[in-house]
Amino acid sequence: MSIIETKNLTYTYPGGTKPSIKDVSIKIEKGEFVLITGPSGCGKTTLCRCFNALIPNFYQGELEGEVTVIGLKVAEHQIYEMAKHVGLVFQNPENQLFALSVEKDVAFGLENLGVPREEMRKRVDSALNLTGIYDLRERAPHELSGGQQQRVAIASVLAMQPEVIVLDEPTSFLDPLGAKRIFEVIYDLNRKLGVTVVLVEHRLDLTAKYANHIVIMDDGRIVLDGEPRKILSSEEARLIGVGIPKPTRLYQILQKDRVSLSNTIPLSSDEMATMLREVLKS
Amino acid sequence: MSVFDGLKFRRVYSPIHNLDPRIKFIYVCAIFTTAIIFLELIPLMILFLMQVPFVILAGVKREWLRSMRGATFLAAVIFLTNFIFSFISAGYIVTAFNLEHAVAMTLRFIVLVESFSVFFLTTSPDHLGLALEQTHIPYEFCFAFTTAVRFVPVLAEEAQTIMDAQKARGLELERGNFLKRIRNYIPILIPLIVSAIRRSLELAEAMESRAWGATESRTNLYVLKMHRGDLVLIVITVGILALAIYVRLFLGIPSMNDILGRFFEPQYF
Repeated sequence: MSIIETKNLTYTYPGGTKPSIKDVSIKIEKGEFVLITGPSGCGKTTLCRCFNALIPNFYQGELEGEVTVIGLKVAEHQIYEMAKHVGLVFQNPENQLFALSVEKDVAFGLENLGVPREEMRKRVDSALNLTGIYDLRERAPHELSGGQQQRVAIASVLAMQPEVIVLDEPTSFLDPLGAKRIFEVIYDLNRKLGVTVVLVEHRLDLTAKYANHIVIMDDGRIVLDGEPRKILSSEEARLIGVGIPKPTRLYQILQKDRVSLSNTIPLSSDEMATMLREVLKS
Repeated sequence: MSVFDGLKFRRVYSPIHNLDPRIKFIYVCAIFTTAIIFLELIPLMILFLMQVPFVILAGVKREWLRSMRGATFLAAVIFLTNFIFSFISAGYIVTAFNLEHAVAMTLRFIVLVESFSVFFLTTSPDHLGLALEQTHIPYEFCFAFTTAVRFVPVLAEEAQTIMDAQKARGLELERGNFLKRIRNYIPILIPLIVSAIRRSLELAEAMESRAWGATESRTNLYVLKMHRGDLVLIVITVGILALAIYVRLFLGIPSMNDILGRFFEPQYF
């Protein structure tokens, strides 16, 4: 059974004239690293909000269709029930940290759930270690860099031990190096802990190599859905204006020029480099 | 922004910082009460000097001196009004007694400022929030308090950005008469308020996503425990109060003039 499944999901924000997402049906399997991308305003954020009941409980509005997460029908549950299963990390790291110390922030969700103190201590420490911010635990959030703040946000979601972590453009406030580190942390969580990751991101150059499932949206609809190598090398993806990774694009151009390369489409510079080395050798 | 520097708490570790904020607060209230029940100079001087070891133990001398300097203007106002009133009521003569009275009133104010500043300088907002929580104040209020403290530097920075942006578009803040100057700040306030509202919506969304309101019996990562230091402070507090009440009720307090007078007026000998 899929861990997240949406069926014909259509949603209009209160006061909105047209739906932000239309007829969205996707399936996400357990342990997948899913990348959702598409032009700004295409409904990616709206879709994320459907996964943990923020839609329709926090934002009213009109929802049709159905979302099921871990067998729970999202519309029938409160946000705090869903929060145990789906962790959401937002775009602006500053606006999702409330406490005066990192440690306290990571504990916030657990405190709300009423987890006993000893258990809480253990979970907080392990979340801090997994995201590599254990040394920052007594600092105040506003003293940290954007990248560190975003790692705190991830740790605070992680401490609640959700099955799915949804990250909505977590790196748009960060510099390239900070972004790269965040992606590495996320990938580690996916690989080592088997957490299902749903990542909304424009920077495909940095993230495509981690994904094993990619969804491209445009104007509220799912346009492409499937295996990254196949989708990113397709003509449609390029026309929508998705930031195709440069190695993939280079591969396409070279193929057009009938340079014979191997059949696996590269997603990262490393893959491209090995491929070119082989060609140059022969 | 120097205006907001005072609100940023510096994390320091000292025996005073580690004290239970609830006990510290009771201590401050005791000093407050004691300062109120005495009108005489000598006990107020003793109260003033008693705070000094606290300041030194806490290692916040510089900040403390700064806050005391901030109080000098008000202290001067209090001294002058007291002095002028007693000068008039005494029939337009300066007496050593009304001088002493004015000094005592000023000192009383300084003692109040002193003890409260020691409390705020040595108590982290985090600790304070925790103390509020553990005195069974509804969690919503404690959360509002710590969040407000958390966002002070953020909003200060944002105000600065907006000011820079508006100045870059030709807004002149330092121009015109008093009323005009106030009106100049409207283009700063409106974007600041709008962005604060937007920020609060995002915060609410993040709170909801982290199981806000999941259970009535919320737990806490930290717990305030009484240590030996807190017991010592309780003893000191009770001692001060008891002594103050005893002295007030049963002992006459000599004024500075009585004591000094013996040296200045040799005809008594």
